[in-house]
Amino acid sequence: MEPIIHFAPYTGWVYPNETVFEWSVLIAVYPYLTGLVAGAFTVSSLYQVFGFERLKPVAHLALLTSLSFMIFVPTPLLLHLGHPERAFNSTITPHLTSAMAMFGFFASFYVALLILEGWFAYRPFIVDQAQTKTGLLGKFYGLLTLGSHDVSEPVMRYDRKWIFALAVIGIPAAHGLHGYVGFMYGSLKSREWWSSDLMPVIFLFSAIISGVALLVVLYVASCKLRKIPVDAACVKGLAYTIWAFIMIAIVLEALAFANLVYKGREGIEMIMEYVTGPLLIPYFLLQFAIGMIVPLLWLSYMIWRGTTGRALVIGVTLCACLVLFSVFMMRWNVVIGGQELSKTGKGLLAYHMPFFGKEGALMAIVLTLAPLGLLYVLTRLFPPWADAATHAHS
Amino acid sequence: MKKEDSKPTLEARRAFLAKLGGAATCAGAVVGAATLGVIPAVSAKTETPSGGASFPTKDYDWTKHQWGFGVDATKCIGCLRCVEACKTENEVPRNAHQFRTWVERYVYLEGEKAVRIDSQQDPVNIQASGSEKEFRFANRYKDAKVEKAFFVPKLCNHCAHPACVQVCPVGATYKTEDGVVLIDHDYCIGCRYCVQACPYGARYFDEEKGVSDKCTWCYHRITKGLEPACVEVCPVGARVFGDQKDKQSPISLFIRNNRVQVLRPESGNAPNVFYVGIDKEVN
Amino acid sequence: MPKHIFRLVSLIVGFLVVTIIAVPLLVPDSFYRFGHYRANSVVAIAAQQPVLQTANYCKDCHSERHAQWSASNHKSVTCEVCHGAAQGHPQNGKLPIPKDAAKLCTLCHEAMPGRPRTQPQIQVTQHSGGQQCTVCHNPHSPKIAAASVKVAGNAAAGKQKSADCAACHGAAGISPNDTWPNLAGQNAAYLVRILAAYKSGDQKDVAMTPLAQALGDADIQNLAIYYAGLNCKGAAGGKAAGDVAAGKVLAKNCAACHGETGIGSNPAWPKLAAQKQGYLVNALKAFKAGLRKDPMMAGVSRGLSDTDIADLAAYYAAQSCQSTK
Repeated sequence: MEPIIHFAPYTGWVYPNETVFEWSVLIAVYPYLTGLVAGAFTVSSLYQVFGFERLKPVAHLALLTSLSFMIFVPTPLLLHLGHPERAFNSTITPHLTSAMAMFGFFASFYVALLILEGWFAYRPFIVDQAQTKTGLLGKFYGLLTLGSHDVSEPVMRYDRKWIFALAVIGIPAAHGLHGYVGFMYGSLKSREWWSSDLMPVIFLFSAIISGVALLVVLYVASCKLRKIPVDAACVKGLAYTIWAFIMIAIVLEALAFANLVYKGREGIEMIMEYVTGPLLIPYFLLQFAIGMIVPLLWLSYMIWRGTTGRALVIGVTLCACLVLFSVFMMRWNVVIGGQELSKTGKGLLAYHMPFFGKEGALMAIVLTLAPLGLLYVLTRLFPPWADAATHAHS
Repeated sequence: MKKEDSKPTLEARRAFLAKLGGAATCAGAVVGAATLGVIPAVSAKTETPSGGASFPTKDYDWTKHQWGFGVDATKCIGCLRCVEACKTENEVPRNAHQFRTWVERYVYLEGEKAVRIDSQQDPVNIQASGSEKEFRFANRYKDAKVEKAFFVPKLCNHCAHPACVQVCPVGATYKTEDGVVLIDHDYCIGCRYCVQACPYGARYFDEEKGVSDKCTWCYHRITKGLEPACVEVCPVGARVFGDQKDKQSPISLFIRNNRVQVLRPESGNAPNVFYVGIDKEVN
Repeated sequence: MPKHIFRLVSLIVGFLVVTIIAVPLLVPDSFYRFGHYRANSVVAIAAQQPVLQTANYCKDCHSERHAQWSASNHKSVTCEVCHGAAQGHPQNGKLPIPKDAAKLCTLCHEAMPGRPRTQPQIQVTQHSGGQQCTVCHNPHSPKIAAASVKVAGNAAAGKQKSADCAACHGAAGISPNDTWPNLAGQNAAYLVRILAAYKSGDQKDVAMTPLAQALGDADIQNLAIYYAGLNCKGAAGGKAAGDVAAGKVLAKNCAACHGETGIGSNPAWPKLAAQKQGYLVNALKAFKAGLRKDPMMAGVSRGLSDTDIADLAAYYAAQSCQSTK
């Protein structure tokens, strides 16, 4: 079959080989997913490690969210690879000079850690279900108990130590998983738009706000669906978290951009032309203004005015939606934007995203939303609700 | 805990030793496993390149050569026979968007400060060729007031510190002992990180094969005493190839007798394609 | 250690042991031999067969063409540039002879800003009146004989020397029969070139060779000047042995060098107007057979049939040698 290659239109001068976009929207979805994973885990750790007690209602939901999204993290990559069946080559013979070789190790380590921490957190529930449920489900829980139904206090103390240790180790693990992606871009010298020491940190902080924002939306939605009142203190705690990290994220992004302009290296004219032209709306308007400044101002206002109740919940949820959108735009502006700027520094290309196809918009949407389906299943198997009658967690 | 019970009981000691033993076993297992895993990596390059028989073929020993390439841009006439020959020789996809080698045209028109650059992917040139499968520069400036114009052939620079080799996650692209950067089509997973990393735009992704690809200096020819296809067909001698270990080879003479430069020296890649006669705008 | 922890740790250790055992087994053989790559890949790449074969490959079967080409100024253009890759030839049949030569030749020779001045270039629309390049240029030896051959001689001395030539070429440079060419009014530069060729052996003719070898360089110049100054006295006359009208059509292809009616603008090339018919036929046949050596004429005459030759000769013979200018 004739391979379908979409050649990108361009202006100015670009290298002949650049007219095919190599990294599509799926490669923007991938760091978005790992960012949500890292951010969700951060919420869980804020409770487990840093004792942010008011986040208890979302602590386990955060773990399940992190896990659901983590399961789907390899899918955009596998769809993108020319030879997905050879994907394990990077784990069998990892080229240690390459940041991308770290993916297999970070991902498998982190998935194992998540499953472990979740298992420890849900052990009492699993034991209880193994003893009460029958049939296939009973067997499922029985298997998960590893044959031990001991939930006595000394053993629970032991478990809590494990949870704490895992939560602590999980922070660098989750952030390493997402941070290496930022490093991959930031350490490339071929594209001025990507090449920045700050890139891993920018990715990380925007990941955290995206994960927290996701938890806000999921928590509020789950409360609405379960018809229980929203814990305003929890939402406020999440709001504070977003508020704090969004400030850092804005500062970092602004610093990176300022550095670029200030240094004024070769290619800066094309970057300025691009940023004030095709990227003006996606970058300054969507990512920054609507996606970060507005939530920051709104959250600041609510914190200053001590907003509570319904107004708080609606306000924070809407801010969270804006943040989620902004962080996706950030991934888009980095991945796609970086490729639209030619390596020559003298030309611009235009990415035309197909709707259908292996790497099209539809696939991107599906991959972003599919983890929510898995999350639903997981919340049925392992209810994370703090108010549940079942002893779902310690 | 009772204060007077400062000395640990036998039971406590046993428990502690058990814990210690357990920890030691675990640690030992992990360390042992890691060593086993690391040994293959560390024992890489135990075989010296010339260990034993001639490699990679019995008639060609790669330790005896160090290939280099030269481009004399003052001679290039922009006929694009090199592009054609390369596509034929190496089964490069026959289109105007994936090249192992290409030629760029730089034109300064009177009264304009900015240079005009075009190459084979330009729609005007594609139209002049007749199709994407053939290659020709459109004579678009024949009626214009041209102040300065020249052609620059480009190809993979086979850098001494290739960024593409560094970023490959699996080890599918590598630098040979004789100085050529090659791609293992049976091992590449097609992630295109190398395509992104190359500052020169020398690489492309072959959709049909599902792997990344680029100029190989016609390794299959040079190991048989032939020249790369592009060098072979260039009618004006704008491309020079040879063994830098041989002081009288065309490339050694080219480097010695000319003031040569490389593209993007600030990248730190240390390219091995040496240019004569390029201009400030060429990068 | 609680039971479940022990089992968990055992699971983890077991998994690690399995992976650590499995990984070296999964590493492809020849990997790590010389570095972080499969050494067999190098072998496989080096073993691929070349597609382009180089001109040396063509030499054994096409030795004459190869000799002609490698002595010409096209020797830097390998055979496969125009004829395509020779892999599989001759087993897979003939290689194409390009039909649209102009499309191929202009790739290099179209005048284009950016091409170095040393590259021979032409303005395509003004060069050949739409004719194919191969009409005048033999692709295997494209350079056309130098136009500027300086001729400086003494006509009087030439007249004296021409006594030896009169037997065949006539006292006034008009030949007595159809075989030997008229010389009256012929281009001096051409006469110098052809005599020098006979003298040096570049051209061989049973009669002319010994005669030319007896001439000194000064003699050649003098003779050329003398004959060039003679009056060519109109048409040759005699019965046309070919179709003049058909010859006129064919002669369009010759016009670039020889002029529309056989009076060309370049003095390096002979005037054909009013030349002896028989001589023209013989000359063309000799060019075609390679007996008379001229790369351009060889290319041009290759496509001519005997009828064409007769027609052309008849046409030129019927033309007036008086220039209308």
